[in-house]
Amino acid sequence: MSETSSKIKNISRIQYDPKPAEYWGPTPREARKKAVAKSKALVDKSMTLKEAVQKHIKDGINIGIGGFVNTRIPAAIIQEIIRQGARDLTLSFQSNSICCEWLAGAMIVDPDRVSIKRAELAWWGYEIIGIAPLLRYLNTSGKIQLDDYTNYGMSARFKAAAMGIPFLPVRDHGGTDMELTNRGKMVECPFSGENVYLVPACHPDVGLVNVTAADIYGNARIFGAQCTCQEIALASIHTIMTTEAIIPTESIRSYPNLTEIPYPAVDAVVEQPFASYPGACYGNYWFDMDHLRYYRGICDEFRKTGKRDGLKKYFEEYIFSCETSDDFLEKIGYKNLLKLRKMDGAQPVIL
Amino acid sequence: MEYSAVEMISYTGSRVLEDEKIVFVGTGLPIIAAMHAQLTHAPNLYMIYEAGSLAPILEIGMPLSVGDTRAARKACYLKGLCAVFELTQRGFADYAFIGGAQIDMYGNVCSHLEGDVYEKPNIRFPGSGGAGAMAANCEKTIVIMALEKRRFVQQVDFVTSIGFGDGSPDYREKAGVMGSGPYRVITQHALFGFDEETRRMKLLEVAPGKTPAEVQDNVSFELLMDENVKEMAVPTEQDLKLLKEEIDPEGYFLKRVTR
Repeated sequence: MSETSSKIKNISRIQYDPKPAEYWGPTPREARKKAVAKSKALVDKSMTLKEAVQKHIKDGINIGIGGFVNTRIPAAIIQEIIRQGARDLTLSFQSNSICCEWLAGAMIVDPDRVSIKRAELAWWGYEIIGIAPLLRYLNTSGKIQLDDYTNYGMSARFKAAAMGIPFLPVRDHGGTDMELTNRGKMVECPFSGENVYLVPACHPDVGLVNVTAADIYGNARIFGAQCTCQEIALASIHTIMTTEAIIPTESIRSYPNLTEIPYPAVDAVVEQPFASYPGACYGNYWFDMDHLRYYRGICDEFRKTGKRDGLKKYFEEYIFSCETSDDFLEKIGYKNLLKLRKMDGAQPVIL
Repeated sequence: MEYSAVEMISYTGSRVLEDEKIVFVGTGLPIIAAMHAQLTHAPNLYMIYEAGSLAPILEIGMPLSVGDTRAARKACYLKGLCAVFELTQRGFADYAFIGGAQIDMYGNVCSHLEGDVYEKPNIRFPGSGGAGAMAANCEKTIVIMALEKRRFVQQVDFVTSIGFGDGSPDYREKAGVMGSGPYRVITQHALFGFDEETRRMKLLEVAPGKTPAEVQDNVSFELLMDENVKEMAVPTEQDLKLLKEEIDPEGYFLKRVTR
């Protein structure tokens, strides 16, 4: 297969540093070895979020963030990572909002506790609520390195990793500046002779997902849009899973077709209702636009003025002064959470 | 009839969508346009939402984003991103309906950044999201953009969503993408298509009270003019009622201020 290119160079004038062909996390071979080395026993993996993060999150790792924008995001896990601290992180995800902006905010408040080195991504923002102020700040000031793909590109990268292959051919990125700036490669297909773009597998060291329901072994059901959670869990060396509810294994075994993530891919199962709050979780609760707006406003204030006071206060109030996710949710309040539960519209799930 | 710019864009978006097709929608006005089309001339038009939903019934409210849980309501098929983008690669998505920050005469769209240097741009936008994949592999691409000189540019700062590239006939083929490319560009004052021979943007329709020359004044590159530039149809009272009372009653998108 020979490397080639589209005609993008005829139209682009963007200046960029070409990225070497390398993985920003474990290689497919390393990932395979780690999977082989794992115990495949059905053992109780339920633990506290504190224990899960202590066990798996280290400085310098690649974390794969599940969900999509504001949907079924692993918000509670991100908060615990911020509480415990993790530096020099590589973030991998397709599209996300507050998970990234929380980590970025924590980095601005105290870079010795949390720092992001780089992100491989498709999209970082809040959709209707607006652009992400801290992404804009970090990128325009050259504080983090980015590697851009499309939403399919990032999903295909996790999928390749989940399939145990080093790359996937895709029909996008070619002819755009992503072809120049990202680590994918245009090649001539050995069968059709046509150009086709290859994106490298993405194996996070630790994948973070929140699911609708799971048993204590990590067999998980996902209702609503499944985003790329199955692929991220299977791609990752370790997966920390929060679940809105733990369900009996008997239920899993009665309807095994409903299992989206199989237990060997999961290392920690944490029962945590509202684990995606302020994001949404189909069948459980809608997203809290007010809280997203509130935090985004604080970040935008920082971007405009350079003053960290608002951010510090927010992190103190909502993250550092909370021992657990339940403490955080108590500050949000029962009535608010109840309102969001009603706004879900009782979307049907099978437990 | 009094109508706002966003109402005009939504209505025109609806007009452009044909029945018995699948439209892959981006957040905001594309959703509104597709809902309007379903309620009027295209009852057999269906939507793809990129978090994983095909053909939902939006009975509990308009999704505020493509990842909104409401976009999954009563779908025919509900998986994840891989599934819907693979349906698209396979040929099951007729329209990409996207926005962006800049567009050039060949329909290439930028939604990544403003500036010269990728590592340190002047302004960074959220990124491709689904747009780059939609413009590559949906069969036809529809772009919504405000008609402003700084958006209709000679050269985009970064190509996020592929159009016809440099205009050469084999640009998309060499890029390895499957869709036929840019189809319509919708603004508040004009509707554009693309010339088959040159693949350049061509003015098809202008809003009542506007002239082709005024449209050209808001575009940095030279527009081709259709032989028969028409007047854009305007929304009727019934259309506005649907948009404002049934589709977006809370005004999440329709009450946003755009020029």
